[in-house]
Parts: sequence; structure tokens; C-alpha cells
Amino acid sequence: MTIAGFIVRNALRNKRRFLLSVSSVAMSLFLLVTLQVALRELTNPINDEGSTLRIIVRNKVSLAQPLPARQLPTIERIPGVAAITPFSYYGGLYKGDEKFTSFAQFAVDPARALDLLSDARVPPEQMQAWIADRTSAIVGKMTADRYGLKVGDRMPFTGQIYPCDLEFKIAGIYQGTADDRNVMFHQKYLDEALGDPGTVGTWWVKASSVEEAPLVTERINKAFANTSAEVRAETERAFQLGFVSMWANIKILIGGISMVVVFALLLVTVSTMSMAIRERFRELAVLKALGFRRRELFAFILAESFGLATLGAFFGAGGAWLLYRTLDMPKLTGGMFVVFEVTPQMLALAFTIAAVLGLLSAVAPMIGVARTSVVQGLKTLD
Amino acid sequence: MSLPNIVTIRELSKEYRQGEINVVALNNISLDIAQGEFLTLMGPSGSGKSTLLHIIAGIDRPTKGVCRVQDIDVTKLNESRLADWRNQNVGFVFQTFNLIPVLTAFENVELPLLLTRLSGKRRREQVNTALELVGLAERSRHLPRQLSGGQEQRVAIARALVTDPKLIVADEPTGNLDSGSAQEVLSILQLLSRQIGKTVIMVTHDPKAAAFGSRSIHLEKGELTN
Repeated sequence: MTIAGFIVRNALRNKRRFLLSVSSVAMSLFLLVTLQVALRELTNPINDEGSTLRIIVRNKVSLAQPLPARQLPTIERIPGVAAITPFSYYGGLYKGDEKFTSFAQFAVDPARALDLLSDARVPPEQMQAWIADRTSAIVGKMTADRYGLKVGDRMPFTGQIYPCDLEFKIAGIYQGTADDRNVMFHQKYLDEALGDPGTVGTWWVKASSVEEAPLVTERINKAFANTSAEVRAETERAFQLGFVSMWANIKILIGGISMVVVFALLLVTVSTMSMAIRERFRELAVLKALGFRRRELFAFILAESFGLATLGAFFGAGGAWLLYRTLDMPKLTGGMFVVFEVTPQMLALAFTIAAVLGLLSAVAPMIGVARTSVVQGLKTLD
Repeated sequence: MSLPNIVTIRELSKEYRQGEINVVALNNISLDIAQGEFLTLMGPSGSGKSTLLHIIAGIDRPTKGVCRVQDIDVTKLNESRLADWRNQNVGFVFQTFNLIPVLTAFENVELPLLLTRLSGKRRREQVNTALELVGLAERSRHLPRQLSGGQEQRVAIARALVTDPKLIVADEPTGNLDSGSAQEVLSILQLLSRQIGKTVIMVTHDPKAAAFGSRSIHLEKGELTN
């Protein structure tokens, strides 16, 4: 027999309680990790390689205000601008979706758009077909898979923002971006449907280098200062974070729930360990009598409590990691969650919480053991 | 020629507070116990016999006085050194056996040896020797709940013996046993004293049990009466 074997035997002496305790830690940490993953998914914009170069130009008054289409040549001439396309959010309701369509539709200039979507992979013949037909669109692979769409199918939308319904013929299916959900179609097609208003939703600009990006942003803002349509140019990251800031209350709510989960977990573990040690006060007194020192008994208690919490973290956080790797979350959540990834930081957080729980829950039993003499301990039994 | 003393107690007193009352458990006790002696401590409940045994075994401390065991004043040792000293010099036998329920008889006996630097092989040899001595070698893989009371107490005696201590203390070791099992346990303790030279100090209420000892002393209200 080894000391480690002795500790394991003690931990497993009440198997039902041990299983329930490990399960409660595991379930709580599973929930905690899931909340963290969901929070990250909701508040952390998806970034790809090209996002560091892309700049969004919108109306300074509001994102809802369009920009004049005539701004295009002015922006094109600004030093450091490598590519530009109109980028108008259509926001239609796809046929069959009742209240909400989980993928976005953007009107762009196809010939220019792929310069900005450097990560997207579209077969050349599909790209040509898209450019050639102004009623066509390319669809992200995730959306195509979800709805079982293929090249040549038609996608009808009901306008929710613009007063026009549109129907696209699928010219191609793209993949390779961080978010392969969107539908891209011709700005010209939207213009025609709206009676050619001469406006775009936003401009999507690509800077020639990462170093140039902030300078380009500044130059665009200056170029339209004191005009009838002043703009606000910002990096794609800053633009996305603007949306994220609207989730502030959700972050607080999820943070609050996480705290409650951890606190409940602490109570459960402390209670379990206290119960387990209280039952063994006599045995601990016997061990003391046999020559085990206080620090060795502390080590037994700590190892047991730490082991219980860590095992719970292994099953809870590890289970979440395995589960979300295995499940097709975009499909399961109807495209609401795309990445849903348990990051190493989240695993580290879960294991750190477990370690701290293990330590804290050992404190009370250790104090009890320290305060109890051998004689008192033996009397508790008799 | 008489054997040298293994335990020397001088003017030993123990007092403790029970609420508002000051209780005198031992009052100015002086006592010598010779090596190899089988001493029985008798007396009514509350007479201080268990307290005296606990102080000799180093699990309780006196209020004043000296308690030397093998020339070491155990009252002066700190907690950590006292724990080491107990592991090397004292074997305990309790009334309620106090075996660890999740460990087999073998593992219960091996427990005190986990604190030593002995190799696994040497530990196994010592455990087997101790179990053979109490006649339970064939029951070594049994858990305490699979043993009778008498067998459990014999495992406890093997555990007390396994580190080869000079002193074995037994606090009413037959209190929870039937007469047959009690007889067996007392015979083993007697054998340890007479043939192996261990010093055995046993607390008992039972005059029949005390008859197995080589000397018997009585305590009453914390004082020796004979």
C-alpha cells in the first residue's frame, strides 16, 4: 500500500457521495465553461486574416443613414486604399424562416468584393458566373449546407429594411472565411429594385498594409468632413466592437450567473469535505496516535479535496471541450453560434477554480483536525 | 536481578477544566514500570487510569510532573517529535479496535510502517510476521467488517507490534469482546510480555483480565491506592 493508495481508498469509501460530489463539481464547471463560451461567441467578433486590413465607412450620423454612391471615386483616390466595394446590409427574411433569418445578406460589387474577401475560396467558374449575372449571389457554405442549397437554386427574400423583395440565383458557394454564413449579391440588383436611389449602405475598404490602415481611416474621415454626407471610417474590429458594446448587460448577467455557479460549487465542496472528514475524526485521531503528524493529515485532506475538485473539472470542463468539438454547433443552433469553442484560457479558468475550491474546502476540516487532540478525537468515537 | 525501568513517573498531575469546575484527573502520581512488565491499571470510571495511560503513551500532556519513557521525558517533546516518538516506541490497542474500515487486515497493520523508510519488501515481511504472531496470516486480505471482534482486536495488536516498539499500551482491549475472544487477546498480550519482552500497560475494569498481568495497580480519584 502507498500513501496515494490510502488517500484514494479514503476518497472512495462512500462511493455514492463521491460520485455525486464529483458530478456536482463537473456539472457546475460544465455550465460555467458553457456560459463563458456563449459569452465569447456573443461578444467577441470573429476575425480572419484580412480583418486587420479592412475598414468600414459609414454615415457619421448613423449606420442606418445611407451614403451617396458618388463617394466611390473620391475614396478610391485616397492613398493607401487598395480596394473598395459598396457594402449594403439587405436584412431580408428568407423564405421559410418565420421571424428571423440567422444569416446576413450584403449587396456588394462582385468584381471588387473578392479583393476584400481575401480568405474566401470560390471556384473561378462560379465567380465568373456571379459577376456575369446581376441577379445572382454567392452563398456561404454553412448556410448552403444548412438549407441544402446548391448552385442554380433560387433564394427568395422578403425585404425587412428595404421596401423590396429580392430573389437570387445561386451562382457559387464560398468557404474559408471566419464566418461562412453570409449571402453576397449585386449592389446593382438592389439599386434597380429600389429605383436607383444613388446610395449605398456602407463602403468596405481594404488598406494596402496594416501600417497604412489607421492613416487611411483618418484620410477618409477628412475627405468628407464638412460635406453633406460626413462619414465615420473605422477598422472592421472597431466597427464590430461597436455592436458588441450593446451586449453589455448580457455580459453582466452571464458574469453574475457564473459567480453564483462558483459560489454554489464552493458550498457543495466545502460541505462534502466537512462531512467526509467529520465522519473520520476518530480515524484521524488513531492515525495521529500511530505517529502521523499534523502536516501529513493536512496533506491527506488537501489531496482528497483537491482530487475531488480536479476530477470534477476534468469531467466538467473536459467534457464541455469534447462535446463542443464533437457537436455541429452551427447546425444545432441554426447558425446562431458559429465557432463555439472552449479555449485553453477557459479550461485554465475552470481548473484554477477547481484548484482554489479544493484548497478552500480543505481549510475547515484541517482547522478541525488541528484543534482536536488525539484523546478528544478518540472520545468522539466512543 | 530486576530489569531496568522503561517508564519512570514522578509527581505527575493532570488537571482540566470542565465548564466552571476544575477536575483533578491525576494527583501527584509517582510510578516505575520495569522493562518486560505486564502492568494492569485498575480503578473505577473517572479514576484517571486512562489519562495516565495516555500520558505515558504521549497522546496527552500532564499539568506538571515528569514522565520518562526510555530516558526521554515525553512531556517535553513538541508535537512533531512526539508523533515520531510514538511511531517508533509505542504500540496502541484500543477498546473499539479502531481499524480503518476501507483497508484490509494487512494494510491496517502496514499503516504505521508507511511513516518509516523501510522498503516495500521489508514492510511486507514485518506485516506478515506480526499477523502470524497473532494467528491471522490467513486473514490478511480480509476487510475489518469480514472479521469477528476478536480477530479485529488481534489485527489491532499486530498493528501495535509491527514497528517493534518497546511499549504496548492497551485501553480496555477486551471491553468489547466475548469471554473467549477476550481470553485469546489477553493470552497474546501476556505472550508479548513474557516471551518477547515487550512492556505492556493495560487499563481494565475486569479483575479476570488483570490476572493476566504481572502486576496490578489501582487508581482512585487520581491517586494510586496500593
